[in-house]
Amino acid sequence: MLAIQELAREDDKIVIVSPDAVAAARATKFREEFPDRVIEVGIAEQDAVDIAAGLATTGMKPVVVTYAGFLTMRACEMIRTFVAYPGLNVKFIGLNGGMLGGEREGVTHQFYEDVGILRSMPGVKILTPADGQQAYLAARAMMEQDGPCYLRLGSGREPEVFPDGTPFTFGKIREVKNYGDDVAVFASGFIMDRAIAAVEQLHAEGVNGTLVDVSTIKPIDDEGVAAVLGRCGCAVTVEDHNIYGGLGDAVCEVACRLSPCRVLRVGLQDKYPRSGKAAELLDAYGLSVADIVSAAKKAAQK
Amino acid sequence: MTEDELSRIANRLRLDVVETVHDAGDGHPGPCMSIADIMAVLFFDEMKLDASNPRWPERDRFILSKGHACPILYAALARKGYFPVEELKGLRSLGSFLQGHPDMNKIPGVDTVSGSLGNGVAIGLGMVMGCRMQGIDNHVYVIVGDGEEEEGIIWEAAMAAAKYNAGNLIVFADLNNHQSGGKVTELSSLYPVADKWNAFHWHVQEIDGHDIGQIRTAIAEAKKVTDKPSLIACKTLKGKNIPYMEDNNAWHKRVPTDEEVEIAREALRDKI
Repeated sequence: MLAIQELAREDDKIVIVSPDAVAAARATKFREEFPDRVIEVGIAEQDAVDIAAGLATTGMKPVVVTYAGFLTMRACEMIRTFVAYPGLNVKFIGLNGGMLGGEREGVTHQFYEDVGILRSMPGVKILTPADGQQAYLAARAMMEQDGPCYLRLGSGREPEVFPDGTPFTFGKIREVKNYGDDVAVFASGFIMDRAIAAVEQLHAEGVNGTLVDVSTIKPIDDEGVAAVLGRCGCAVTVEDHNIYGGLGDAVCEVACRLSPCRVLRVGLQDKYPRSGKAAELLDAYGLSVADIVSAAKKAAQK
Repeated sequence: MTEDELSRIANRLRLDVVETVHDAGDGHPGPCMSIADIMAVLFFDEMKLDASNPRWPERDRFILSKGHACPILYAALARKGYFPVEELKGLRSLGSFLQGHPDMNKIPGVDTVSGSLGNGVAIGLGMVMGCRMQGIDNHVYVIVGDGEEEEGIIWEAAMAAAKYNAGNLIVFADLNNHQSGGKVTELSSLYPVADKWNAFHWHVQEIDGHDIGQIRTAIAEAKKVTDKPSLIACKTLKGKNIPYMEDNNAWHKRVPTDEEVEIAREALRDKI
């Protein structure tokens, strides 16, 4: 929200629409500075999205922020019919994505379908930054674009994984590690630390892979992804999302179209988890470092 | 404009709907007839509009939340000069810009997408807020159906509009007591409608939705109330003024035959 707050100082059309999500969004400082620019509708996500659509028709630049699942599922149709279809300049920030985000709250507050749902809507861009600094840059990049865009955030408790000054480029993948061409690892979001640890472990065991951060899921970087697939000849995808609908689908789609090869998906294996501490939950439900390592080895088998 | 003139415009719009749906081979004529008088007052008497500048920032906004009644919206826009009347017969066909439900990008004069029911009040509230934030002094008019008020989003919006003292939001409830599946009073526990809006802290009036004088007075009264959004509950007849359509739910979505068009023309001959 810091990025949004900074931009709001230069552009008085930027407003936040909150369905009782100011605390979760850590937007209290924004509200202190701009009390008249936070529209609080109470626990009413559909209302929040529709109001944002109405605001956008008058030239305002609303940002709707709330839990990723309530935004994309409770207000799914509103996003699609009243924002995406007419191409209105409404931005969406989904909080607490994935098992990492919801963790002990349980399945009702864990969201592993949001990217998949929005991918299937024409006209909605999707950003999945890997840490807090990337999220800051992604938010700025999002606000520079015109039209609907979704930014997937976590809980705010995620580690910083990239060095200071790491760039974020809208619509482009970024190579994080390149030990070789044995296997490509495409990862996105706040499980990036696990992907990094996995690629290090693989390297130590003689499997030399390339780790890529896919921070824009839609539009997917066709050229970039296809080039890495072409070089490596096999891949795994890693995401804190169901294996259906998200990064895995996006990379497989590029592979099928431009560079056919084996792609194995690491993520939530199409089942509902449960309450648990984030790290334990990820380990228990298919997103351990060992899961990534074993999938990568399997993908690399001739 | 006199009440008689507006009444005639309303009937002209009704006949436009009959002819349009006949020519196009598709559409919802019944739901259009119950709001014709409201549409006439809004588009030809009340609203601050400029047909040569559909996106004029200072304009009043209109949302046909019960968007399936778009044939009468398109007729009003055409008669007002937003596009040629000849275009109306293209309704819902691939080569035409006249979409099956209102589309804000393809159709000049349409301020938002609508038709997926329930959303107009919330979107209208967003418009009120956006205009207010930019110092624009205008009003936003929304027409909702009674069946449509079964959608929860209506009530989310009602709550927020009251909280935000959206005095510039004026909603007409078209209470023709019909929806696709039958009588609203049989299908749901919605009625009495006015009581509910009152409970949500709106300013509420109840009128005969076919009385031009009452419609005008209600709008004037609604505009005087600046700290609350206004609901004008309109008792109406689905299919009004088209003899074979009146209170006949078979005309929710149905194409008039050549003979039926002639009957409508005859019935409205002296009323246009």
